[in-house]
Amino acid sequence: MLNPWLYIGIFLIVVFILPGVPVLISALIAPRKPNPIKNATYECGVETVGDTWVQFKVQYYVFALLFVIFDVESIFLFPWAVAYNQMNLFMALEGVLFILILTGGLAYIWKKGGLEWV
Amino acid sequence: MVAPSKPITQDLTERFPGAVSKDTRPGYEGYIVSANKLTEVATAIRDEYGYEYLASVTGVDYIADGKLEVVYHASKMSGGASLNFKVQAPRDGEPEIPSLVGVWQGADFQEREVYDLYGLRFSGHPDLRRILMWEEFEGWPMRKDWKEVYYEQDAKPFKTRWPEGSVYRIEEKNRFNKNVRYPKGFDPRSFKSDGDEKLYALMRGEHLPEHQRINTDEIIVNMGPQHPSTHGVFRVVVKLDGESVVDLKPVMGYLHRNHEKIGERNTWLMNMPYTDRLDYLSGMGNNHGYALAVEKLIGSKVPERAEYLRVLMVELNRIANHLWAIGFLINDLGAFQTPMLYLAKQRELILDIFEATAGSRMMCNYMRFGGVVRDLPSRIRDEDTLDFITDLVAERLPAALDEIETLLTFNEIIRTRSIGVGVLPAKQAINGSAAGPLLRASGVPYDLRRADPYSIYDRLDFKVCTRPNGDVYDRYLVRIDEMRESIKILKQVLRDMPASGAIMDGESKYTHKVPNGESYGRVENPKGELGYYVVSNGAPNPYRYHVRAPSFINLTMLGDLCKGHKVADIVVILGSIDIVLGEVDR
Amino acid sequence: MNEVTVIIIDAAIKAAVMALVLLTGFAYMTYAERKVIAGIQVRRGPNRIGPLGLLQPAADGVKLFLKEDMMPTGADKLMFNLAPIITSIPALVIMAVIPVAPDWIVNGYTVRFVVADLNVGVLYLLAIGSIAVYGIVLAGWASDSKYSMMGGLRSTAQVISYELAFGLSMVGPMLLAQSMSLRDIVHAQEARGIWFMFLQPIGFLLFFITGLAELNRAPFDMPEAEQELTAGYFTEYSSMRFGMFFMAEYIKMIAVSGMVVTLYMGGYLGPFVNQFPPLGIAYFSAKVFFLLFTMIWIRGTLPRLRYDQLMSFGWKFALPVAMLNVLATAIVLVYVM
Repeated sequence: MLNPWLYIGIFLIVVFILPGVPVLISALIAPRKPNPIKNATYECGVETVGDTWVQFKVQYYVFALLFVIFDVESIFLFPWAVAYNQMNLFMALEGVLFILILTGGLAYIWKKGGLEWV
Repeated sequence: MVAPSKPITQDLTERFPGAVSKDTRPGYEGYIVSANKLTEVATAIRDEYGYEYLASVTGVDYIADGKLEVVYHASKMSGGASLNFKVQAPRDGEPEIPSLVGVWQGADFQEREVYDLYGLRFSGHPDLRRILMWEEFEGWPMRKDWKEVYYEQDAKPFKTRWPEGSVYRIEEKNRFNKNVRYPKGFDPRSFKSDGDEKLYALMRGEHLPEHQRINTDEIIVNMGPQHPSTHGVFRVVVKLDGESVVDLKPVMGYLHRNHEKIGERNTWLMNMPYTDRLDYLSGMGNNHGYALAVEKLIGSKVPERAEYLRVLMVELNRIANHLWAIGFLINDLGAFQTPMLYLAKQRELILDIFEATAGSRMMCNYMRFGGVVRDLPSRIRDEDTLDFITDLVAERLPAALDEIETLLTFNEIIRTRSIGVGVLPAKQAINGSAAGPLLRASGVPYDLRRADPYSIYDRLDFKVCTRPNGDVYDRYLVRIDEMRESIKILKQVLRDMPASGAIMDGESKYTHKVPNGESYGRVENPKGELGYYVVSNGAPNPYRYHVRAPSFINLTMLGDLCKGHKVADIVVILGSIDIVLGEVDR
Repeated sequence: MNEVTVIIIDAAIKAAVMALVLLTGFAYMTYAERKVIAGIQVRRGPNRIGPLGLLQPAADGVKLFLKEDMMPTGADKLMFNLAPIITSIPALVIMAVIPVAPDWIVNGYTVRFVVADLNVGVLYLLAIGSIAVYGIVLAGWASDSKYSMMGGLRSTAQVISYELAFGLSMVGPMLLAQSMSLRDIVHAQEARGIWFMFLQPIGFLLFFITGLAELNRAPFDMPEAEQELTAGYFTEYSSMRFGMFFMAEYIKMIAVSGMVVTLYMGGYLGPFVNQFPPLGIAYFSAKVFFLLFTMIWIRGTLPRLRYDQLMSFGWKFALPVAMLNVLATAIVLVYVM
């Protein structure tokens, strides 16, 4: 095999066609008679009130911040896991220590109330 | 609002000389309270006399006397007959009486309804808007001088809509000239209601306390009328801060057909099938309440077997209704209909009994004044009727209930979703006129079948099921318990029912001479206290026909129950209240 | 023919076959789901179109083609059009790295039953798998409808609650197989003679559960919670654009099942698979079908969690357990070595 990414690239081109074609066909053969009421925003049969694109309160934003930290850190575990057999004991235990620190961090946040909705 | 340890027995007229007098009209009972003392008297009735529960508020238009009357029915939680007191106001000008929302939260929607239909203002009401009709509606439809487009006579119970058998649309004959009045400058095509805007303006006012808020915008979302889980065309307007509910107001009336006004045009008997359409899931119970109210006026004596048949049907109906309620509650929790269809299997069998007996599965129209219309058939589904019912009651239903319990009651997700959600404290439940499972799940052992026994319930052995916490889970459990109690009742009914005998008091009649007077008949319907307040003036049709609809009044507390919860909880709480829009909007 | 041309033809054929299989799979997944759930609910399900209702998916497809495509006036046109495509492509692409059978040598030519055998296959799965959420969030945002927006935001919440446990539960097989290549992971299971789901039961369960969350499947289908948000992020979508979301969901179900099978259930392994490699496809499919059935079964039985509860489950239960699982695996491996 030359390069598997070439395969992925070709696959990507093929799958780009897949969702595109039905939408196109549908656009060609489906009826199209828009009117203001039909195109109104759905809000259970009542005219929508106020703006949708507001400063919506995302009550889990603290989670989102934590997620970035933990996600980056947990990715570090992937290469560590793959190379586990080639490591000496000290290196392996360093990884273990890393997980322990992560766990400690999670416990700390939990205790601080970071894992609650605001 | 603690009930006194010893309610005083002094008569109201002595307690409030000059402000309260006995209602002396023939056929009437209770007291007439003068409007300026109403709040004081009501507080005394609640606190000193121990009538903690305001069952029903309704208006009557006595056009001949030039008076509008508001009729209140209050009950004691310990049971006994309800206390009936009235306030009168002149019908001309802008009549106004004090609102009782401060005394009983449960008066909220009912006063709005009276205002909506009679144009009687309640001073001090926090949110006196129209509730069933739309905001711009002209006139007060339940007043006797308000003429509907179709029916212009005061009462025409017997005249056909299509004289000489020729069918035409009424609009062709009547160009809306006589009694449709458009306001000045009104054009139906460019009409845009500002009722919604009024409501939104109300909701914009309320905010979370400052310290709980980060600087974000709150949005107002309409859930319903076209929403998959509002159980019909019911609408709640929700103000959300993120996913948390800040404020919630129910909007109803999308299915309003002015049941009561039509009821006043129908003859007494013609209303019987019409009651089926109220809470269409428990038609038998609706029939029963109306029959009781009118029988009180007529004074008929229901034969033994008919009483048993009534209780048999009503309790079967209770099970059918609760099965449905639980099924939909779990469906609202997101269970993709499986529990509902399991439960529907048993409900179908109950409906089979109804169909074989009354001729219809849901719109049963089974009871008459003084009895029931048909005896049990000899066979149902090629089985002997009694065998069929006994098998259902003794084997299938208990097995089905056990199955539900094993599958649902201890389901981890159901428990996390429903425990502690939508908690209704006992005090508020009583004060807000909650009824049925909603009230009993809050730990209040109030069941009309025990509190004010009607029919043969005083002979039957069953217990009033309560649960202490008043959350969604408890409402679910109370319904299960009630079904088990109903099964117990049904077993006794099947054991004690006389094998044969009359099922009607005298002849079955089309027209009934109903003596002058008023009467309030109430039954414990699956959804709560269903009351019928009827007034007769001797005519072939009721002078006043009011339905105290449990679904409608239970919704009074929806806003309070949902505040602080998440969007997903709204539908669950609504589902746990168990409403039927036919009854809410009437 | 030079080598590059061969590769291109090879790749195009594989891609086309894979895409067609997935599309048919999608069509019949909808049918299977309706039939299975109907069975669970004591009813019959589709049985009108074709024998046993087997042509139902075709009828649904025709219907979707012929429906009018509506777009709300206030919507962001570009994003509204793009969102379904962004959602559906990752779902299809995931399958590219999953081996469905061992190599087969026919007439000296090696047929590889995988589109691309990446040496970082696991990372690829993780990366592509989480792209789909962009489509959902964009769809929710672009529709200019409150229900859609809330659905979109919920799906973000879902990703940030489950991605961590999802990723961490992939570490177990990697530790055992010492490779990120999915083929190597399957080989490792063959070499050890035991599926990793038995060596890593906690990891397996976590991976499956978080996979459900990743898929927005019941009981974690909050972004499209019918009871609350009417249809969630695709409330405003109709016609084939709605069909794309639909397709993405079902194909992703197949893809995630494929991931679970490869990482934990021995992939294509089965009796005589090395003697006659195409058998692997049958084994692989059978395992995938089993998982798909389980997913449908779960949908037919369980109610939905509320999404703050889902988040606390993800962070307070799934994540710590996943971490401890990795820790325990690492320590046990040290001991074994």
